[in-house]
Amino acid sequence: MKWLPFLFSLLLAACDALPRDPDGTSRRVTEGGSFAVIIDPAVRQDRAARALLREVERRAGARARLSGGTGEDALRRLREGQADLVIGRFGKASPWATDVAFAPPLTSTGPKDDPLELKAAMANGENRWIMTVERASRAVSAEARAQ
Amino acid sequence: MTDNSLPAELEEPLKQAIRLEYWNIFWTITIIVAMGLVLGQSETMKTAWVEDTLGLVPPIMFLIAARMERKGERSEHFPFGFERVNGLGFFLAAVALAAVGALLLYNALMALASAEHATVGSIVILGQDIWLGWLMIAAQIYSLIPPMLIGRKELPLAEKLNDKLLHTDALMNKANWLTGAAGLFGVLGLGMGWWWADALSAAIISLDVLNDGWKALRSSTAELIDGAPRALSSAELSEDAQQLCERLRSEFPGSTVRLRETGRLIRAEVHETHSPAECRHPRHYWPGDDARAWRLAQVSFIPPAGDVPGDPG
Repeated sequence: MKWLPFLFSLLLAACDALPRDPDGTSRRVTEGGSFAVIIDPAVRQDRAARALLREVERRAGARARLSGGTGEDALRRLREGQADLVIGRFGKASPWATDVAFAPPLTSTGPKDDPLELKAAMANGENRWIMTVERASRAVSAEARAQ
Repeated sequence: MTDNSLPAELEEPLKQAIRLEYWNIFWTITIIVAMGLVLGQSETMKTAWVEDTLGLVPPIMFLIAARMERKGERSEHFPFGFERVNGLGFFLAAVALAAVGALLLYNALMALASAEHATVGSIVILGQDIWLGWLMIAAQIYSLIPPMLIGRKELPLAEKLNDKLLHTDALMNKANWLTGAAGLFGVLGLGMGWWWADALSAAIISLDVLNDGWKALRSSTAELIDGAPRALSSAELSEDAQQLCERLRSEFPGSTVRLRETGRLIRAEVHETHSPAECRHPRHYWPGDDARAWRLAQVSFIPPAGDVPGDPG
């Protein structure tokens, strides 16, 4: 039974080691010290959006490089690798839901059955980076925590 | 005694198999729920989940067939009872396995070809952010245990009953570790950042499903078109049927022996010979173990065409 604590600590270390990003977004952000964000000009001054940016910067240990962009154009640029993060308002049932990874919504507006959600989007499959942004979203928003 | 087609010595093992299949369905449903809760976007998980769901088909088919075989009495419309329902169930299960296996393989290859990067995010449990992949791994490990235990118990019963449906289910369950290992590799690979591991594992699992379906399809089709009796686990000719064929040929030299299988029973036709003078029960001709003599349900003799009254030959 002496090996149990060792196994437990190994498991904890393994838990932290995974997941990794196929395209290395997290490592690039940490090593480069910055990440590219496309933000909808309409939410640039939104309190929740700014809190999210600060929290991601803190967790990644890097600074956000902001540029403007909205809707499909922003998500297309995200898919093409021109950005690491997009922040904007998207429909809850967005047709982009399978093409990009959405973080839990920070705030919602509009009708309950089809709300417009303020949330972050990341490139599909970059699972460590996605987790970082998801955690940051939950840290700054009660609505995100409730998802 | 009921007027069904089930040999009396199979009543007890069949009841045991029915109980086991109810347990099988119960545990399979717990696996389907556990896997369904943590599916995410992973192709591996979706494929493994579909495979687990498909795992319900053989036991359900078996239970339906067993009920009809036990309770369905011979009647004017069904003078031979329902002994072939098992074969029909086997065929339907085989079609389902082969079709879904092919579809899953197509999806996995498409995901590989288009270099899809599967997203597996995080979930909050007891206030902790946990990568969903860890829960997927836990679900995959859980999904390995019940099928292996049930498969081991099913195998001897399937052999005793000579039940291909039950045997296919037992082998699928016993071989489930392969699917589990492929599934674990897929999720762990995804965690390691190997985007291709997910789709590759899904392809391996679907190939396994397709292979099970193809083997079962060959064997069940042979039975439905009155092919010679096949072995329990393959499309090869069954050993006991071949021994029976030799036994009949040696007793009736110059005759042509034709065997077919109706469910778990064998029916023999001996052509170009007269029936023996004394009255014999079909079991008399069984060449091997007496305990398995129930397999031979009928032996018919067809005399040479020249012996037919009025035939000039």
